[in-house]
Amino acid sequence: MKIGAPKEKTIGEARVALTPESAQRLQKLGYECLVESGAGLAASLPDSAYEAAGVKVVNTAEELWSQADIVVKVREPAADEIDASPSDKILVSFVYPASNEALLTQMNSKNISALAMDMVPRISRAQKMDALSSMANIAGYRAVIEASNNFGRFFTGQMTAAGKVPPARVLVLGAGVAGLAAIGTSVSLGAITLAFDVRPEVSEQIESMGAEFVFLEFDEAQLDGATTNGYASPSSQAFIDKQREKFRELAPSIDIVITSALIPNRPAPELWTEDMVASMKQGSVIVDLAAERGGNCALTKPGSKYVTDNGVTIIGYTDFPSRMAAQSSTLYANNIRHMIDDLTPEKDGVAVIDMEDDVIRGALVTHQGEITWPPPPPKIQAIAAASPKPKEAVESDADKASREQKELQRSLNLTGVMLGLGGILCLALGAVAPPSFMQHFIVFVLSIFIGFHVIWGVSHSLHTPLMAITNAISSIIIVGALLQVVSDSWLVMILASIAILIASVNIFGGFLVTRRMLAMFQRS
Amino acid sequence: MSSHEGLISAAYVVAAVLFILALGGLSGQEKAKRAIWYGIIGMLLAVVATVSAAGGQWILMSIMIALGGIGGWSVANRVQMTQMPELMAGFHSLVGLAAVFIGINAHLELGLAKTAIELGNVAELTGFAATIAAKTPVEISILKVEMVLSLFIGAITFTGSLIAYGKLAERLSSSPLTLPGRHVLNLTAIVVCVWLGYLYFTGAGLWTLLLITVVAGALGCHLILGIGGADMPVVVSMLNSYSGWAAAAIGFTLSNDLLIVTGALVGSSGAILSYIMCKGMNRSFISVILGGWGGETESSASIGGEMREADVDSVAQELDDADSVVIVPGYGMAVAKAQGAVSELSKRLRAKGKTVRFAIHPVAGRLPGHMNVLLAEAKVPYDYVLEMDEINHDFPQTDVIIVIGANDIVNPSAQDDPGSPIAGMPVLEVWKARTVFVCKRGKGTGYSGIENPLFFKENTQMFYGDAKASIDGLLQKVS
Repeated sequence: MKIGAPKEKTIGEARVALTPESAQRLQKLGYECLVESGAGLAASLPDSAYEAAGVKVVNTAEELWSQADIVVKVREPAADEIDASPSDKILVSFVYPASNEALLTQMNSKNISALAMDMVPRISRAQKMDALSSMANIAGYRAVIEASNNFGRFFTGQMTAAGKVPPARVLVLGAGVAGLAAIGTSVSLGAITLAFDVRPEVSEQIESMGAEFVFLEFDEAQLDGATTNGYASPSSQAFIDKQREKFRELAPSIDIVITSALIPNRPAPELWTEDMVASMKQGSVIVDLAAERGGNCALTKPGSKYVTDNGVTIIGYTDFPSRMAAQSSTLYANNIRHMIDDLTPEKDGVAVIDMEDDVIRGALVTHQGEITWPPPPPKIQAIAAASPKPKEAVESDADKASREQKELQRSLNLTGVMLGLGGILCLALGAVAPPSFMQHFIVFVLSIFIGFHVIWGVSHSLHTPLMAITNAISSIIIVGALLQVVSDSWLVMILASIAILIASVNIFGGFLVTRRMLAMFQRS
Repeated sequence: MSSHEGLISAAYVVAAVLFILALGGLSGQEKAKRAIWYGIIGMLLAVVATVSAAGGQWILMSIMIALGGIGGWSVANRVQMTQMPELMAGFHSLVGLAAVFIGINAHLELGLAKTAIELGNVAELTGFAATIAAKTPVEISILKVEMVLSLFIGAITFTGSLIAYGKLAERLSSSPLTLPGRHVLNLTAIVVCVWLGYLYFTGAGLWTLLLITVVAGALGCHLILGIGGADMPVVVSMLNSYSGWAAAAIGFTLSNDLLIVTGALVGSSGAILSYIMCKGMNRSFISVILGGWGGETESSASIGGEMREADVDSVAQELDDADSVVIVPGYGMAVAKAQGAVSELSKRLRAKGKTVRFAIHPVAGRLPGHMNVLLAEAKVPYDYVLEMDEINHDFPQTDVIIVIGANDIVNPSAQDDPGSPIAGMPVLEVWKARTVFVCKRGKGTGYSGIENPLFFKENTQMFYGDAKASIDGLLQKVS
């Protein structure tokens, strides 16, 4: 079958759904690839690069739509594109079915099977085709770059000959994929980075990226975000109040705010209010990644950048991924390639839509004249529900000291009891045993003590050689057999000889094998 | 004569000191290479001193030592490092068997001494019988107790080690044998032995000793048969300890301090190893001895999610992108004899400027220190091979972890699930790394039969296949 990528019609859209690299991988799956002339130009992918990768370049969109069996796109198709399209195609692109029902009906009338990249379920196996995540990652990175571009100072703190420069303070709201990418970028630029999310379980991820999690002091039991398939859910009023209080406290000290809080199928929650913007310093920057859905900041103007009266730059671009078209095209084309990989179980260049496959079923919005959206819930839960963790009792220093004291006391007591018992046993033994035995017994007990002290010092990595050498020296038992072999009884002699024989097997074998092992240990 | 005895004693003292130095020298890899010579010289001194004092039978002794030596030499030269656990078990059984023979001999010589005393020709006695004849009645009673003890321990060591050998060499099934009423059976065996010992003590003949040997031997078999594969590190170190105690018991029987010292050293060494192994599994010594993983505790958490499979290309790609890599080997690596390929992989990755280290769990493998020896054989420098405590806190900063043929030692339910049979066992926290690849033969559970939630974690990918084949495949992609 043929896979084709037309030029994006949306103005300002620089991405392309097929790159020469992804085309080569698709060709390995048995597909032929087509691209509309100039489709990759904005993403620094000239037609010649496609041709070099064996992709056929066609001149017009009509040609492409009529020749390709599978059409791959970035933005959802416009109405006139579908109108012009022949029927019975497979389309892979962003669709946003929830807000584009008219488009679904229209595609359905053309009997198009549409796979929505934005509907790929969030399960582990589908991560490689999760285009929302890969685009969000780019957006998060770009947000920091845009912020830095509009921020008149360093991100990192420096001690220069001309004076000390304090590091920038960055606050990231919402620690989804975009938020985490922003945190990573900001931390690596050297800024002091704070981050907040309504899902307390992401605090670990935030801290692992090197940012500080902004905790709200809160008593109410919080909903475990993992039960909502990894996305945030709306917060209670009490929570919002607490959160705003905290943000107001932070706002004057923050240089850059990056917001990326979204709740599925709802307008973006307002996190950064007008008065917070007002209390920020001159020259501060706000980047609102949620601008497309209304924005997390009250003053965001979607699609544009402006400076408020108190000198705060608010950036509300909605096309961050497209601003890095080369990068986002690479990742998006890879996402598409993985999706087509899953559509081609036989690797024979024939796409099969398997309704039993959770990922394909989840992404499929129209198929064989039916609107198949919304999909049934996937058979596998996105994230295994986290079992509530028992709260670890926080131990104060005094508690710790007293516990350690008690443990020490207990172990001392135990040693005391053991010593007492051992002493009594020894005395009891001494009362009945003859002195000759007691002499040997003293030697025995002292040797055990020496043994314990010596063996604790043995390196863990040498435990096998230790066993081999102790095995060899435990054949000292040969001495016993040697003492017995000179006897008047032939039976004793025979038994003793056998004992000598097997003990010497052990001596030679044990030492040799120890030597072999030790010789292998080498330093780098 | 007395100066002669003085010389022998001096040789014994020197030998004992050398043995202590030999064990103490194992605290570091470089020192250890010299320390082994202390052990060899000590042994040589002890044997030469004893032989020279024996007064006859030199030819027999030399022949036996030479034959045994050749046997031991050839076995030790041929054995592969992966077979080390069964070799150790086999060697332990020899010590046990020798102890049994020497114990029976002691009884026979006691008989000789008695007859001689009755006939009044004590002066004609030679060797050990002469020593016995000089003993007081109380000393003779103690001697009898010692004989019973050395036979008992010797027989258990012998048969137990044989069974352990069979299990480790995979000639016997490694799953625990659970007979109904096995604890009662063991207890009965011990009671019977004590009773037989009492009979012997009060004058019964050789048959009681032989019966004790047989019953103790059966007990040894049954004890070790009841212990599962994953507990083998404890079993082997325990048998190591027993072989020491057997030597010490013989030392008491023969009134020989060198045997007592050495036996005590070896016995305590084995005991410490067993303790370390038990701690590594968070199990009490008693529960290991009493048999396999119990089915009594039910895991409270069922595991959700799915396993993801990785192919060679994606593993190679991840390795290429990684800066720090940790390899966690387990028994599976030994089974597949993959240590050479693993070593080559680590070398190539290191040549690309990546940090590659190995993380060793105390109970990885079937023998204490098993993995270290295998990696050393494959020429992995020992300073890249780290213990659990040294590396556990580094995992969050690790990019890629490859788990090769290990399961229970990387099971997060040991920490998360109080209902798990391995709850509380210290484990390698590999799941904290960015990506974990688990190289595994199939989808089965580990030796403890416990599901491993690690395999279902989001950052885990399964890399199925024979460990050696998989790593060899990987080597072709990483050059």
